[in-house]
Amino acid sequence: MSDSHLQHELGQHLREELLAGRISRREFLRSATAFGLSAGAIAALLAGGGRAPALAQTPPVKRAGTIRVALVPPTAAVDPVTMYDAGAIAVVQQVAEYLIWAEKDLRLRPVLATRWEPDAQARTWTFTLRDGVTFSTGRPLGADDVIATFDRLTDPQTKSAARSNFKGILSKGNVEKLAANRVAFHLDRPFVDFPYLLSSTNYNAVVLPQPYAGDFEQHPVGTGPFALTAYTPKESASFKRNPGYWQKDLPYLEGVEFRFFAEIQPQVLALQAGAVDMMLATPFQGSQAVFTDPNITVLQTSSSKHRAVHMRVDTAPFTDKRVRQALALCLDRPGIVQGLFQGRADVGNDEMFAPIFPGSPTIPQRTQNYAVAKQLLREAGQADLKVTLTYEVYQEVPQYAVFLQQMMKPAGVTVTLDQMTQAAYYGSGSTQPWLQVPMGITDWASRTVPSQFILPAYTCSGVWNSAHWCNKEYDDLAEQYDATLDAQRRGSIARKLAVLQQDATPAIIGYWIRAPRAVRKRVQGVEPNGSDFLDLTRASLA
Amino acid sequence: MARFLLRRLGLVVPALWLVSALIFALAEIVPGDVARTVLGPYATPDQVAALRHQLGADRPLVVRYAAWLGGFVTGNWGDSLVLHRPVRPFVFARLGNSFQLALVALVLVIPVSLALGVLAGLHEDRPLDRVISLLGLSLTAIPEFVSGVILLVVLGVQLRWFPIIAQPPPGVGPAGRIRYLALPAIPIAFVLFGYIARMARAGMVDVMGSAYIRTAVLKGLPPLYVITHHALRNALLPAIAVIGSQIGWLVGGLVVVETLFTYPGLGKLIYDSALAHDVPVLEATALLVAAIFMLSNLAADAMVALLQPRVRSSS
Repeated sequence: MSDSHLQHELGQHLREELLAGRISRREFLRSATAFGLSAGAIAALLAGGGRAPALAQTPPVKRAGTIRVALVPPTAAVDPVTMYDAGAIAVVQQVAEYLIWAEKDLRLRPVLATRWEPDAQARTWTFTLRDGVTFSTGRPLGADDVIATFDRLTDPQTKSAARSNFKGILSKGNVEKLAANRVAFHLDRPFVDFPYLLSSTNYNAVVLPQPYAGDFEQHPVGTGPFALTAYTPKESASFKRNPGYWQKDLPYLEGVEFRFFAEIQPQVLALQAGAVDMMLATPFQGSQAVFTDPNITVLQTSSSKHRAVHMRVDTAPFTDKRVRQALALCLDRPGIVQGLFQGRADVGNDEMFAPIFPGSPTIPQRTQNYAVAKQLLREAGQADLKVTLTYEVYQEVPQYAVFLQQMMKPAGVTVTLDQMTQAAYYGSGSTQPWLQVPMGITDWASRTVPSQFILPAYTCSGVWNSAHWCNKEYDDLAEQYDATLDAQRRGSIARKLAVLQQDATPAIIGYWIRAPRAVRKRVQGVEPNGSDFLDLTRASLA
Repeated sequence: MARFLLRRLGLVVPALWLVSALIFALAEIVPGDVARTVLGPYATPDQVAALRHQLGADRPLVVRYAAWLGGFVTGNWGDSLVLHRPVRPFVFARLGNSFQLALVALVLVIPVSLALGVLAGLHEDRPLDRVISLLGLSLTAIPEFVSGVILLVVLGVQLRWFPIIAQPPPGVGPAGRIRYLALPAIPIAFVLFGYIARMARAGMVDVMGSAYIRTAVLKGLPPLYVITHHALRNALLPAIAVIGSQIGWLVGGLVVVETLFTYPGLGKLIYDSALAHDVPVLEATALLVAAIFMLSNLAADAMVALLQPRVRSSS
């Protein structure tokens, strides 16, 4: 099927932008795939605009073996609709599939959908499903399954973990069946990045068969490369190759063994001893040993994972913008990146356009400047400022808190540290310190589009707006950003958003953490992933 | 003896009831809640509230406790709120694992610590005593996560003598299981060694200085005969009491070792279920451990009473 007229126009426009040097090659690929341009069309456009992507020469692979993966155990019963933790997501991702998979550089790869296209307003998106795909029960995949999947995820009555991602964008009942293999998503408002919401980055969005009773552990049905054969909570999960998988020669592996470890240290030791072949995720803190082990390769990719140091703009002394700016000016960001991650992170700039997001605007980098910081504090009448910083015990966060305390001292700011367990920091009901304390450090997992941070955390109606920051202009720009198809106009809106947020500084974004994934040398065909997602379809063992 | 046992057993039931009430109350104080654990940090407050209602977690504490207690005593241990699985088989599988690890550790530590403790007691204040006492003190002082990591790195990662993961794969026989459990058993044995050896030593020193031993020696009995037939029986009483008191810890308190060696035992289960507010699992596991703790102490007391009739009559 050829691309539509609109897609052709969008493609030509992107090509012009690329040739004019206004967008990068990565941004070109990312936008082209998001608009649903076919691989042939992208190659043709690139042939006129530069070199086609080079395909790596891969050696012949062995079609055998079972890979052993070390990962954290699923927190609760494994259910694709409610899951939110890395363990459960990894289990489900071997068995069930998404319409689209987001690669590590955020290009979109068609999986159960072969093509997709927006209308001119990016308000209705049409998706064509792949033919010849069957669930592990033998039932063919069809439009009804896709409609049921997204109705389930957007249903206010279910405990869907994806509901917050779809809020204000897709409502229940707005997926229409056009044909047995075509569906249309009618959005609540224009949303250019919508394909991302149907991709692996919205991890609950695996396509499940139409009748689904919430019993995935008992009846793990999906279209994926592997079938779940055994699962013991907190201990292990075993998978074997799905013989009816739609990609005929895949997967290469006969099976997958998940071994659950509650802590990182035993995972590191198991990997070093050869008891497992790879770690799902290798947070730098606690895993330093694998980075120098000659038998281990550490794959790495940028991500939008970060820590937000929010300052409540409705609570003194943070009501004054100058105080917030002053504190942000105390940070030696490259020093923090080196100290906490030995350089394995990207410096942040107090706005939400992470370097991983293609087309992120370049605005002046905020750097350490005690003279200006002191002056701002003096002007705000806070020359002898005392603040309490609340934070959770999670990965490098406690060390980061100490860095902040030390770096703010020379500006005359006394920081009292208030440490909490992760459970206490997030709390529940009326006690949720992360949304209530005047200043806190919150961990944010990686997302694929800036809106997934901006909407919940920095708009007036954001449900996780810890800083309680509300700026009408920012909200309007965020809405425009989501609705603008034109890459150049979108870039200029992004720039305005970034400048506005950096100036207001509702939160300090000191760094964007890269996502390392440690594998033993014999593992091939495994990619790192900014969200620690795992696709073993092309994995093999040497 | 029967009266002694009955009287002690009679105390176990109210003690267990008290434990269950305390755990229920403590689970309330631990921050976080079960609905948040199931749904995760990104769930909206109304979703969390709906699940809390569905799970009955929004009912008053007393009502929930009464409902749980009623079910528990009638054999209905319920389902895990978080894992959606029946509690009983899950907890008993973990109990079996914990017993196996405890057994290997005890088999490893009891003969060695008793023998060395007795030897030290017989050589009081001489170089051998000093060496054994110092060794015991040093090993006990090393936290198990330190000795565990060192053992894992040296014997597991570098020398590859032992498997790094203590849980054997399915189909491994008893001999194979011992190989898997040997490595985690060593740090536990280190901790216990000092206690037991010191008790055995003290008991030996005490007994060897007593009048009836002096009489036996003066009577001309061979020293080995005096030790094995007269001294040991009394000298080991404190050590037996210490071993009994450690069984509960061995079965339910090995959170660190179980985490480090990736072993699915009861200790880690208690910890996880407490953090997740999974009260049915927490209660069942904690009560089991409490019961084991009490029964093992009772067994130790009974053994002491058997070996020393004075204890029976005095209590």
